[in-house]
Amino acid sequence: MSSKSKKWFSLNLGKKDKHSENGCGCGKTSGGCGSHDLTIGEETKKDGFDQVFDVKMSRRTAFKQLTASLAIGAGAISTSCSMISGDETKEQAQIDWEEQFKGNYKLMTDEEKKATVDRLVRSYQLRTGKTLNMSSKNAEPDVLFGYAFNISKCQGYMDCVTACVEENNQDRNSQMQYIRIHEMKDGKGFNFNEADDNYYHEVPAEGHFYMGTQCFHCDNPPCVEVCPVQATWREDDGLVVVDYDWCVGCRYCMAACPYDGRRFNWSKPEVPEAEVNKNQHYLGNRMRKKGVMEKCTFCVQRSRAGKNPACVEACPTGARIFGNLLDPNSTIRWVLENKKVFRLKEDLGTEPKFWYFMD
Amino acid sequence: MHMNSFKWFVFAAAFVLCFLSCKQHHDEYHGVMDKIEAEGKQYHGVSVSSEDYLQGIEMIEITEGDHTFLIPERKSHIKSFKCTECHTKPLKELQKGLYKKAHWDIELDHANSNTMNCITCHDANNMDALRSLTGNNIDFNRSYNLCNQCHTKQFEDWKGGAHGKRIGGWAPPRAAMTCVNCHNPHKPHFESRWPARYNTQKVKERE
Repeated sequence: MSSKSKKWFSLNLGKKDKHSENGCGCGKTSGGCGSHDLTIGEETKKDGFDQVFDVKMSRRTAFKQLTASLAIGAGAISTSCSMISGDETKEQAQIDWEEQFKGNYKLMTDEEKKATVDRLVRSYQLRTGKTLNMSSKNAEPDVLFGYAFNISKCQGYMDCVTACVEENNQDRNSQMQYIRIHEMKDGKGFNFNEADDNYYHEVPAEGHFYMGTQCFHCDNPPCVEVCPVQATWREDDGLVVVDYDWCVGCRYCMAACPYDGRRFNWSKPEVPEAEVNKNQHYLGNRMRKKGVMEKCTFCVQRSRAGKNPACVEACPTGARIFGNLLDPNSTIRWVLENKKVFRLKEDLGTEPKFWYFMD
Repeated sequence: MHMNSFKWFVFAAAFVLCFLSCKQHHDEYHGVMDKIEAEGKQYHGVSVSSEDYLQGIEMIEITEGDHTFLIPERKSHIKSFKCTECHTKPLKELQKGLYKKAHWDIELDHANSNTMNCITCHDANNMDALRSLTGNNIDFNRSYNLCNQCHTKQFEDWKGGAHGKRIGGWAPPRAAMTCVNCHNPHKPHFESRWPARYNTQKVKERE
């Protein structure tokens, strides 16, 4: 990407081969790093630097933004001026800088998406010395993902939950789980108040049935409506996703979701290095940080590659069915057209793309 | 007078603008089902495929009714196939007690003894094939034809994709497990067992 089309201010630390007009030689020009004239160009939409700074903000948030940026800037400058710090430290500082001022993923062009993914991969490499594979694959045309859950088949074995946690790099300390399996008494109907979500005995238990809930990827998602920073949105293939780098952690979406589909990182998520799933997607199972929302993405890293989500693959009873709703010959369409299906809280108009049915 | 017409123009413009801006937020469909039906009519197929994920699994293609899909090949996975390698003599002679007993690991726990015994499914005269209720041969690779003699509802669901488990991914081509990949034909029910995990945090709270 040329520096002209770049939507954030570049430092280009220690990169002598690439000369940029905006590149700051730290202290060599008068006024310091912050005072350069930024040529953003004639963009129709705001992105990157603009999104961060060209907004009305209160004194408090302005100070917060400034402090955060200054801290990074100061770090970058001290590393770039330092004679001791190596190329890798400089590169890391450069990446941190560019990551700090990158825009909302939703508004990025394909090149910008690829650039941020490359930075994240490189950053992981610099920090851990290990490499991973991160995708920024977009939604495919003619695809709308849908899910069906057979209540009469689920036996409560919880293989789906285990597979989900491993696939999606969920925090092991807080035992975060996207899927909940509810054990319900026969004859009581869907009574979530009396359901046992943490059963501790052999399954299936006599006189009980099991049903799973997770993010239903509503077609009219209330969580998206309430997000004050548009860090969560509905993709064209129907997946409701979160940009973990744009999320401010206000948890409005968590409150707005009528299905308990969203999870919050109260602490820094930790996954043992050996257990990290290295096949990642920017919108999916890449490592999260403290204070951001996350949730089921129908395993975007798998589903956009044609695979089934991890829970579907792990289920030993075949209770979980996943597929393309727009394909008239898909199995999910057959289920919707031939079984007696229903969704939870249909009257809310959220249009979940997650149907339940019985044999 | 001029002022008045200008005012009207502003009102009209605001009215039109309001309509346009409100329109953006509403989907043109009443619900997701309408949308699926309408947009599915112009379905052109997808670029992703499950074929890569099916590599290394030997599959056979079957067509049942309106459905054509792949199921795993079976015969090469039966440990003691061909059966006639041991069953050189008719079953009646083998059962006389002159020979050592075989198939210790098989105990029939499928329907009751009035309904089923070994030769309900196996052909006593041709051990290498299965036998339908009316005496026709059924290949081991297509053993679902044996099961669907009784389990007709499950068969319909399996053909459509509501029963059973997909192999590979959601993307075409469709590949599915066949009956005996999940159910032991001699003991078809699923056992109860401990869940794969439980919440230790909650367990601590219980103690």
